[in-house]
Amino acid sequence: MVSEEILAFPDEPRSELERTIEELVERAQRVLATQGRLRSLLRASRAVVQQLDIETVLERIVEAAVELVDAEYGALGVIAPDGHLERFIHIGMPESEVRLMAHLPEGHGLLGAVVEEGRPIRLDRIEGDPRSAGFPAHHPHMDGFLGVPVRVRDQVFGNLYLTNPRRGAFTQEDEELVTSLAATAGIAIENARLYDESRRRQRWSAALAEVTAALLSEDAEESVDSLGVVADRVAALVDASLVCLVTPLEDGAELLRVGVARGEGAEQVLGRVFEPHGTIVGQAWELGRAVASETGSPADLDWVPALGPVVGVPLTGFGQRLGVLALARPVGAPRFSDADLDMASEFASQASVAIELARARADSSQLQLVEDRSRIARDLHDRVIQRLFAAGLTLQGIAGTLRAPAQERVLEQVDAIDTAISEIRTAVFALTTRGPARASLRHRVLDVVSELGEALPSPPRVTFSGPVDLLVRDGLAEDVVAVVRESLSNVARHARAQHCEVDVAVDDAVVVTITDDGVGAHGSTRSSGTANLAVRARERGGTYEIGTGASGRGTRVRWSAPLPPAAGGGT
Amino acid sequence: MTRVFLVDDHEVVRRGIAGIIDAEPDLEVVGEAATVRQTLPRVHATRPDVVVLDVRLPDGNGVDLCRAIRSELPEVQCLMLTAHDDDQASYGAVLAGAAGYVLKDIRGQSLLESIRRVARGEKLLRQGVSAQVVADLSAPSGAPAPDLTLRERQVLELIAEGLTNRQIGERLDLAEKTVKNYVSGLLAKLGMERRTQAAVYGASADRRP
Repeated sequence: MVSEEILAFPDEPRSELERTIEELVERAQRVLATQGRLRSLLRASRAVVQQLDIETVLERIVEAAVELVDAEYGALGVIAPDGHLERFIHIGMPESEVRLMAHLPEGHGLLGAVVEEGRPIRLDRIEGDPRSAGFPAHHPHMDGFLGVPVRVRDQVFGNLYLTNPRRGAFTQEDEELVTSLAATAGIAIENARLYDESRRRQRWSAALAEVTAALLSEDAEESVDSLGVVADRVAALVDASLVCLVTPLEDGAELLRVGVARGEGAEQVLGRVFEPHGTIVGQAWELGRAVASETGSPADLDWVPALGPVVGVPLTGFGQRLGVLALARPVGAPRFSDADLDMASEFASQASVAIELARARADSSQLQLVEDRSRIARDLHDRVIQRLFAAGLTLQGIAGTLRAPAQERVLEQVDAIDTAISEIRTAVFALTTRGPARASLRHRVLDVVSELGEALPSPPRVTFSGPVDLLVRDGLAEDVVAVVRESLSNVARHARAQHCEVDVAVDDAVVVTITDDGVGAHGSTRSSGTANLAVRARERGGTYEIGTGASGRGTRVRWSAPLPPAAGGGT
Repeated sequence: MTRVFLVDDHEVVRRGIAGIIDAEPDLEVVGEAATVRQTLPRVHATRPDVVVLDVRLPDGNGVDLCRAIRSELPEVQCLMLTAHDDDQASYGAVLAGAAGYVLKDIRGQSLLESIRRVARGEKLLRQGVSAQVVADLSAPSGAPAPDLTLRERQVLELIAEGLTNRQIGERLDLAEKTVKNYVSGLLAKLGMERRTQAAVYGASADRRP
């Protein structure tokens, strides 16, 4: 390591022995000095390698390098994929001076030259070098310079920069020592990265386990929020400031909606509906693969607060697009790494499972509801109607043995029982499952009644008599639905009624009767709606009447039309 | 005098109906049954003019029972008495080959009048109902319509014409038992045996011998 010229002594001749002794002493001292430096290198290397936390490793590398060559300032610049300095870890400069500078070095000038050349640069004076440029304002004076690349595997990870050697200038020996240290540093960085990665994966799998537990939870409320759990865990693990789960507004819809949001500004974006086109999220949705914003500024949505780097990861289940997991960091934050994306994808698949599961649960509770309803319908049919019928028959039998006023009153009760049976029959029908195809007229009437009935103080009573579904079809069924709809909305708008009844009867004709106990039909009979009903009746050779209710109060609407002669001929 | 046989698993219902019928000078109740199993032997023994039957019975399907009565004793008319609604009762009556149905209303429809009309040989089902039932059940896209095989479709059409199982067997050159199986298959496909509403389909006597 010690060059030959330095060992030459141009003094006047001395005795061979003296010269030899001096030479030996000198050599011994040099060997000792070199040994000392090598020992320092070993110590420095050990200090660097001992650490596992990447941040500490980087700091130790700079500290060790500064100590090794006795430099005033030292720094480690980490190179971003675009060649600029992503991070700049420095020592030797007091915090007060750092604050005076406009910015930390960004990798222009000499620092950039080390990046570009990929090999050590050693200078006695920075000032004289043509590559020197771009010193930030208030940068302290720098003299001697040594820059050495740090490689991790075959990639240049960053550069060690050392300036202002206290011994005047950096030597070839300094360069070699720092190069050795840089090699060790590369290994230490790789170790730290691997360690970091394994720890991250550990946390990751712990979080996934937690999410899975939430998904499988028997507790309905907890499982309903499994998407929220996914969002929380993702936010913590990939260090995102905002995590959103975006799903289509409805099946097959063009618009997307932020269904779950966690983190900064979550309240502002939650529930937001937007067009996917031109957004990172929209690209992920359309392309079906993860998309990251390159610039770190998506500018695709006027999100408030503004976002920095954004990634969108599609959620898919059974080959179907379910939504997008969107992650964002604040403006100026580092972009998402490949590991972050891997992790996000893993969670995206968990979120997909959560969505699928939630759907399956909804289906199953729907099924439960259907089962409950048919059980109730069965009970009503098997028990309630039978008993009412039996009781009515008994009463009627008794009525036969009674005399005038009592007999009449008993028969009134029998009529009341008949009405009750008829209502239960409608209820049983309403409770039974609908067929998948053709909507029956009775179901359509019930739908209209429940839709418009909300505007009335009490739900309208609905009765059917005759095989309504079998005999009233096609255009005639349309007419009946229109009659019920128009008449009920008139009742809701004008009648101020407490009660309302709808009856659809079919025999040779279909007769729709709507009665209410409101203020009567004054003035409301001439609306275009009622005119339309009159036309529909006339075209079928039927009738349409609006009159006073049976008890002299309210309104009674009666619409009738004969059945078409071909009834039963087609479908 | 019209002789009436009652089939209903609720004793109080049978008693009530019997009371009403027996109060009429031209009608009399000649027998009662609470189950499918009791019915056939008793009907054979009493030879009524009209069987009034509830199609939902504890030990079986009233549609099948009705077809069995009609097949063995074509001169006996059947009248369905059902707690279900008109649409369901119409389907049931057509499939059972019944002359008509009466809903379980006490005063709404005249049970007595229906019994008399059926006894006179009238068909109570409105014209067009049978055809509509067949059309609905055969249409592949129709609401209650599953895909039927050619044989099932043929059987269904003959049912709608009012033929008994025996007559259908003769027409299609099938054993009566095979026809019965087709009918059961049809009912199963229509979900009548499993689902509430369907099990209630009722039927009574059909017309032609």
